[in-house]
Amino acid sequence: MNQENAQVDQTMSKTTAGFAISAAITVLFNTVLACTKDAWPALLKLMNRIAWHNWITQGIADLVLFILLGLLFSAMKTSPEKSQSRLASFLTVAVIVSGLGLFVWYAIF
Amino acid sequence: MNISNSDVILLAHSTFGVFGTLTALWTFVEALNASERNMRRTRAAATLTAFFMGITWILGGYWYVHFYPADRALILKGPWPFAHTIFMETKEHLFYATLILAIFLAIAAREKLYASAAARKLVLCTALLIVLTGLAIEGAGAVINHGVRVALMHSTAEVPR
Repeated sequence: MNQENAQVDQTMSKTTAGFAISAAITVLFNTVLACTKDAWPALLKLMNRIAWHNWITQGIADLVLFILLGLLFSAMKTSPEKSQSRLASFLTVAVIVSGLGLFVWYAIF
Repeated sequence: MNISNSDVILLAHSTFGVFGTLTALWTFVEALNASERNMRRTRAAATLTAFFMGITWILGGYWYVHFYPADRALILKGPWPFAHTIFMETKEHLFYATLILAIFLAIAAREKLYASAAARKLVLCTALLIVLTGLAIEGAGAVINHGVRVALMHSTAEVPR
């Protein structure tokens, strides 16, 4: 990293920290929703009616949740530096769990 | 030559997906070398990633809703039904994780990455996750494509001569 003249710290803006938490939660929500609609035909039917197709409804739900949670967490009190440095790990674990969860769910059921 | 709308949309959606994956890799490299000088370039690469993934969603979604049901029926009757039941199902839902990450990358890249180790780490991880999920999705697309191919070969082989 070229940081000769820059002072490096562990802080980031409330917006980035808030949307990082939101992204991790939304990614996990996406997997839970995919498995739930697969196991529960009534939900699938409802999602098909909301926006032409359950997959489109799911995408809209994910985007709305991501934006709302992002704005909510951004407005909250800034988290301490230590927890901000853990955001990358939280997001990475969420995406791995989410991706593997989807694959295992569809492979088994 | 007979190229249908379905072909154009299908190929365009995977092309934009590759563009999005490549710009995420570009963002990763820029973040690795974060400085005041490449700040604007990093932000441009991250914004392009979100843009390309958004286009991929629209094109892929249109194709999936309008044209995929015929392919799905073929795959399910063929020798590779898992191309739909496992790979397509995982791909179509995993894509939303990639899309959310791409939008988030554009937000996180607004930070001064050369001055914040935590923000830089976050951008590096997010960009890398987009590249990895993007590659997994492209690979799943290849399996689905082959699922249709073997189903067609199977059905042709069954036609009496």
